[in-house]
This record gives sequence, C-alpha cells and structure tokens, in this order.
Amino acid sequence: MRFDIPTLRKQLAAAPIVSPFSHELAVAIICDTFRLANVRPPSRQDWASLEKRANHPLWKEQVVMLAHLLAGSSLRDDSAKALRKNADATTVLQHFFDEVAPLSAEMVRSNAFRQEEFLRKWVRALDGEVLNESAKESAKRLEQLDYRKAQQEMKRAEEARRKEAQRREELLREAQQREAEARGWRE
Amino acid sequence: MTEAFPANLRVAPRAHIRRDTSTQRPHLPWAESIARGLAHLASLTDEAEARALLDARLKALRGALLASPYYVRQFQEAGLHPGDLQRLEDLGHFPLLERATLARHWDAVPTLPAEHDECVVVKSSGSTGDPVRVVRDRRDCLHMWAVLRFLVSRAGAVLPPRPRVVLLDALPGGLEYSVRLPIFHDGALHRVSVLRGDARERLCRVRPSVLFSDPEGLRWLVEQREAPTPRLVLTSAQHLPSELRAALAAKVPAPVLNYYATTETGPLAWECLRDEARGRFHVFAPDVWLEPGLDEVVVTRLRPSVLPLLRYRPGDAGTVRRDACACGFHGWTLEGFGGRGACHFLTPSGRTVDAWALAWVFKHHALRAFRLTQVERSRFELEVAGAAEADVGPLCERLAAALRNLGWTEPRLDVRSVEPSALATRAKPQPFRSLPFAR
Repeated sequence: MRFDIPTLRKQLAAAPIVSPFSHELAVAIICDTFRLANVRPPSRQDWASLEKRANHPLWKEQVVMLAHLLAGSSLRDDSAKALRKNADATTVLQHFFDEVAPLSAEMVRSNAFRQEEFLRKWVRALDGEVLNESAKESAKRLEQLDYRKAQQEMKRAEEARRKEAQRREELLREAQQREAEARGWRE
Repeated sequence: MTEAFPANLRVAPRAHIRRDTSTQRPHLPWAESIARGLAHLASLTDEAEARALLDARLKALRGALLASPYYVRQFQEAGLHPGDLQRLEDLGHFPLLERATLARHWDAVPTLPAEHDECVVVKSSGSTGDPVRVVRDRRDCLHMWAVLRFLVSRAGAVLPPRPRVVLLDALPGGLEYSVRLPIFHDGALHRVSVLRGDARERLCRVRPSVLFSDPEGLRWLVEQREAPTPRLVLTSAQHLPSELRAALAAKVPAPVLNYYATTETGPLAWECLRDEARGRFHVFAPDVWLEPGLDEVVVTRLRPSVLPLLRYRPGDAGTVRRDACACGFHGWTLEGFGGRGACHFLTPSGRTVDAWALAWVFKHHALRAFRLTQVERSRFELEVAGAAEADVGPLCERLAAALRNLGWTEPRLDVRSVEPSALATRAKPQPFRSLPFAR
C-alpha cells in the first residue's frame, strides 16, 4: 500500500479538530483500524503496557492525535489495507509511539512539518510506502524531519555556542588584564 | 574638510570612518562572485532552475539559524527546526520576524562571528524614533559595492579605471570624507555635502564616475550652473518625483538607477530602467528572497551573514511576482511598492525639502515614536512618545539646527509628549507630515 501524504494532509486541513476525542474514544478508533484489517487489536492490558512503556506525559496526547488523523482522513482505510494479516498490533503501536515520543498534540495539529513527520512515522510503523517516492527518498525525508534528532542537534549547537562565547570572553579578559599589568610596569 | 564651515552645521555626532581600506582586497573574489551570481539569476528563463539554485542556498541559512540563539529558542517553542527548511515553499510555515522584534533581540539574532571577522553595529534610519541596531560583518558592509558592480553592467555604464564614487549628501549633518575603495575597481569614495559653500567645486574636482544621492541632493545637482557628468547615478529614495527625474535627465545624461534597500537587509531590489516600467523593482536574487504573492515585503537573506534573516518584515507594502521583463530581466519583481510615505516640507523661500532628510536626526535619541508636522512655513509640531525628559532638549536643539541648515532661518518648534498608541499606524510609521496651510 502506498500512502499519498500530500492528499492526506489536504484532507486533514479540511477537517480541523473542533474538540479532542476522549482517550477511550481514541483507543476505540485505533482498535477499529486494526479490526478493519482483520488484525487482533491490542487488549486493555496491552494498552496499559504501552502506556507504561512510553512513560511520558505526551503519550495520551499522541494516542488522541493518531485517532484524529485516522478518523479525519482516508488514513484509516489506507492503514487497514497496508496492515499485514499477521501483524502484531501492539508491536506496531509500540514501534510508532517510540518514534514519535517528543511530538506534542499541538505540534501535530498546528505545525505542517511535525504533522508530516507524525504521518510518515505511522506509515513506517505499518511497513508502508509513500506514493511517488523510493524507499531511500522516504527515509531521507524522515531523516530531515526527525524532531528528536533535531532537538539534540539544537542543544549541541547551543552548548557549543555558549562555550565558544565563554572562551572568547575569557580571552578578552586575559588580554585586558595583560594590558593593565603592562601599563602598570611602564608607569 | 572645507574651511567655510558654519558652526550650526555641527549637528552630526562624530562618524567613525574606516581608513584600513586595504583590508577590502581579500574580499575582491567574493565581490566578483556576488555580481556574477546576480547576473546569472537575472538571465535564467526557467523558473524551476532558478528556484533550485535558491533552494541550494538554504543549506547555509540552516547552519546560520542553528547558530543563532534567538532562532534556536523560537524554533524550540514552535516545534520547528532548521532542517525543516528544505525548499523556498517551506518558508511559509516559519514565523515572521517583525521589525520591533529584531530591535528588541538585536544581539540574540546574530550568530557568533568568525574570530577574524570584525563586526560593527549600525543603527537603521530613524523612521520610527526607535531605530534597529543591526550587527554587520565585514562582507555585509562591503555588499553594496559588490552589488554596484552588477548594477553598473546592468545599466550599460562603462567606467574608467580607478573610478571615483561620490556620495552627494543633503543631510543636515554636513559630514564629508574621502577614502580609497579597492573593492570597487581600485577606486575612491568621496562624501560631499551640498550644504558646504564649495560643494560644486569639490564635485567638479572629483569628477565622479558613479554618483549616489537622495532627491534633495539630485535637486541640488540639477540647480547647479555646471556639474560633472557621472556615468551612473544611483538613488535609494524609493519615491523619486518624475519631474525631478526629467530635470535630471536634461542636466545629466546618465542612467538613473533607483534601488530599494534597508539597513537591516541591505539592497533588495532595483527599479527597472525602462521609462514605461517605473515602479517595478527587480529583486536581487540570489542574495535575497522576497516571498511572492503577499501584499507586503517579506525578506529572507540567502547570502551568508552574521545576521541570519528569516521572513523579515521591513514594514513595506508590495507584491512580488515571477517576471520576464522587456529589459531582459528574468526573475522576481516587486510591484505596488509602498515604502516610506513621501513628504515634502516648504522652506520660507518656497523651496521643497524632502522631510526624510531629517529622519537621521532622530536616530541618535532614545524615544519610542515621533511625528514631525509642518504646521506653518516656519512652525513645526513635534510629537514624541517614550522620550526621557532630559533627552527632549538636546533633540530639539539638534532638530532646530538641522532645519536651519536646510533653509529655515528661524524655525519654531512646539513639542508635545504623547502615548505611543497615538502615533501607531498599521504599516510602516509615517513620521513626517505637512498640513495643507503650510504649503
């Protein structure tokens, strides 16, 4: 199954979120997607272990956002078609939630790049492909969009900049001190 | 410096003129490449090819954004990162940078400069009363000279070896200097003030090949009995009256090139040289990108700089479109451009003076906004917002001296403190106005 990302995004733009689903309703929508593909959905216990494994405050938001994306576009039908009959729903979801860990619901709702990243990571969790893209191109695009990696990069850059600024400040201070000392000798 | 120098000309603060002009030489290959890049883009008929070239420039911009404390903080708050910016089309998803925001975070937007790079902080023109401090690296300071190479060839001007460039200055400061200009064909730059008694003689002595001025300076040039003929005249006035253009054409048979630039961004576009295409400004791509299809100017700098500018709003109106102009230019053109609102004051002798010549006086004083209104021929009302009590006196003194230099022998200045909201406008501030009975 090939997922048409631009079309999915257009459909989502046309179906703005008026009020967020409850967690229970979101879980039901996701489970229905697996049922549509004749795949056994995760049990209550499986959902509990998914939450325990994620162990971060954004997880419930991510569940709700996935449900919105499935219900607000053709993603649910496309996902049902893409799911292999022998797929394990809990493993698919576990893989997906691991990947989207730093994304908040607000980012996915209001930020075009994070929404695309969220969608593409769902496609990857399903082992699906993106329309008009080779597997290599899709991997490259996900690499570009990867917010977790970018966060680390921004932190590293900020740290490097701070250290360099400190180093220069120190050099300047030393130079000023040397100059002051030399002046003292001349006097 | 001239001998005849009236005391009341001394309204300008001391200027710092760089004399180490030999440090321009290492940047010569860069200046040539800038001119080549502009010429190449202006000749590309295929939009997709031009866009691909511009997209390739986003890589350096991504690196600069990552090194800017302001942008890193902004991106973290918005769930964005520089890697999201892969194509020009992606720009629309990034936040705009307002002029007031740049003024507030002027020291956090720049990247840490290279250790060997000497940066300067310059102030934008005092059009709001609250000028923006702009950090510039060496190449930012030299960029206009690189662009001038391109403009000279665009206008078909042929320059002699070691061309002399004159900055004909009508500002009330009366500042003058001469420096070598290795970056521009080993030439020299002379700043000549029209307020000095021997301005014409000095201009004739210099015999400039290229002359920069504003409408006031050009008007002065037209009035001169005898004036040298440069090969190219440049002005960044934005509103160049057609009667002045005609008078200038009769006096100086050289192409007159009007360009649009801001202190924050550098040169952005130049007005088409064809008479029938007045008001159409061709964009200086690939150095800058002006977003098409909007009704205001939104600039992203694609040339490496210590100050990365992403979706900057200078506050000017206009719409950019892809264009294939009859002048041979292919690229993006700014139309319906509305920058500074034109405003002319009348001197007691009936001479018109571009009110913007006074904007410069205000940038040396801390205030949030101002408006100067000519109420009668010799009477002005100055409204100031957010100015310290102690600063109002020196401001008025400097303003009165500037007015005297421009032809008001006894200007009367009424000052009023107002709330900043009283002077707020939707677009760029319009700090000068003239009431009908003053005309």
